[in-house]
Amino acid sequence: MTGDRVAVVGAGMTKFVRRAQETPKELSWEAAHLALQSCEMTIDDVDAVVIGTAPDAFDGVHMKSEYLSDGCGGWGKPLIRGYVGGGTGVFAAIQGWYHVASGLFDTVLVVCEEKMSSCQPHPQAAFLTIFDHTTERPLKPNLLWIFALEMNAYMNRYGLSKRDIATVSVKNKRNAADHPAALLGDPDITVEDVLNSPVLAWPVQRLDVSPVTDGAVALVMSANHVARRVTDRPVWVEGVGWNLDTAYWTNRDLSYPVYVEEAARMAYDMAGISEPRQQIHIAEPYDPFDYKELHHLEGLMLFDRGEAPRAAADGITQRDGDLPVCPSGGLLGVGNPIAAAGLMKVAEIFWQLRGEAGARQVPGNPKRGLAQAWGDLMQVGTVVVMGV
Amino acid sequence: MSLLHRIERADDALNWHGDMPTKGRYTAGIAGERFFREIKERGQFLATVCLDCDITYMPPRLYCEECFSQLEEWAEVGSWGHVHTFTVVHRDLDNEPLSEPRILAFVTLDDTDGGLVHYLAEIEPEDVYLGMRVEAVLKAEDERQGSITDIEYFRPM
Repeated sequence: MTGDRVAVVGAGMTKFVRRAQETPKELSWEAAHLALQSCEMTIDDVDAVVIGTAPDAFDGVHMKSEYLSDGCGGWGKPLIRGYVGGGTGVFAAIQGWYHVASGLFDTVLVVCEEKMSSCQPHPQAAFLTIFDHTTERPLKPNLLWIFALEMNAYMNRYGLSKRDIATVSVKNKRNAADHPAALLGDPDITVEDVLNSPVLAWPVQRLDVSPVTDGAVALVMSANHVARRVTDRPVWVEGVGWNLDTAYWTNRDLSYPVYVEEAARMAYDMAGISEPRQQIHIAEPYDPFDYKELHHLEGLMLFDRGEAPRAAADGITQRDGDLPVCPSGGLLGVGNPIAAAGLMKVAEIFWQLRGEAGARQVPGNPKRGLAQAWGDLMQVGTVVVMGV
Repeated sequence: MSLLHRIERADDALNWHGDMPTKGRYTAGIAGERFFREIKERGQFLATVCLDCDITYMPPRLYCEECFSQLEEWAEVGSWGHVHTFTVVHRDLDNEPLSEPRILAFVTLDDTDGGLVHYLAEIEPEDVYLGMRVEAVLKAEDERQGSITDIEYFRPM
């Protein structure tokens, strides 16, 4: 890896909820404050701030990061906002990494926030304008259409059933029952519940989808010499990668996320990983829909194409399986405040590798994990590999 | 017509209209809820105080922007202060002349390190000056809704 070694030394998050009373600034402050407290640092120890937050329309505030800046600890400091749609949460950690690895800053506070309940009648409405204004929008598409077309392409390519995919939703919502900040944890949910939930746009049913959520997450990232001073358990960023496919979703292979593979190859190369299936012990792939977890596991080369559903059915991705996947409960269970949800995945790897995940802790002292998110116009992959 | 050819009239090129059909529903937040409820119910302005940094926040914040600690010290402050700066608005958003120009001011409130942006009234624009003493005029108690418009305007003291 190039540059200085960079570690995550602290993390904090708010509860993920359906409707927060807190303002977006107050949510950001709570997460950032908890992250600093977790490593006994103060705002004076922070040299720069990275903000990750998704469309301005969610919080209903244009130039949202400027609005959020004081809640993120950015007053009087260098501050930047990165934005790659749903991929933002993991990309914010990548930005935190290069701010420090470049040698420019010793310690960076990374804060991701989303308050989707502000967006009425539904945050879906903010997505209606992402489609091409000439060739698509006159047809009145919504975001579910893309997912439904992609899920159907994936299922048909590999002969998968709805039942094969519903197991992911069940696993993640059950895992989330052990997460103190989760919105939709449910220890008793079954595959039948998912299969009997309302059809939104076939094959997508309600319980295949993550919920609208408010919340914030923050990380503290430090250079080697600071990390070793503030903690005896730094979690090192070993590799980062991101990659973008064509913006024309009609020109992509919807059954396979090649952009995730390219992002993963970049991160694996940096981390010196040649056999990801042996060298990655725990994974938090992006799971806004249940099939996306499987899709992304294949893009991350952790399973062969079309094989992730069988691995899930065999229990390999359970918290006590050979490759625990989304032990946090993921977006399907903990919730999906877009940018905050991605950073929650990085925080989960941090807590798991330090053995601090409580009831969610995976067995076997994992040494290396990855977090991945996906977004923009459904064509960006962002990957962070971390190890101890 | 080349790509760089300017369109003289909107309908010279094929076009259609679209919108982003969202509305915002905002909360005042933890600090803001208390601030606006107090104005609604008692007509009283509140600030939060960071004793360590010696900053009195108006409007009140949940946290200190400088030291980032949670603010739990609340202080009752007056609803008066002085004009820090002002402008006189002559046109509306559609560029139509206003029947009466409106005076918009940033009012620094006494005993705080901040203030509010609001309208000035009961004074002619040419008589306003920086540093002028002003006070808030609140709506009648039964008309107040817990909003910034519970303050009708500021006026000279």
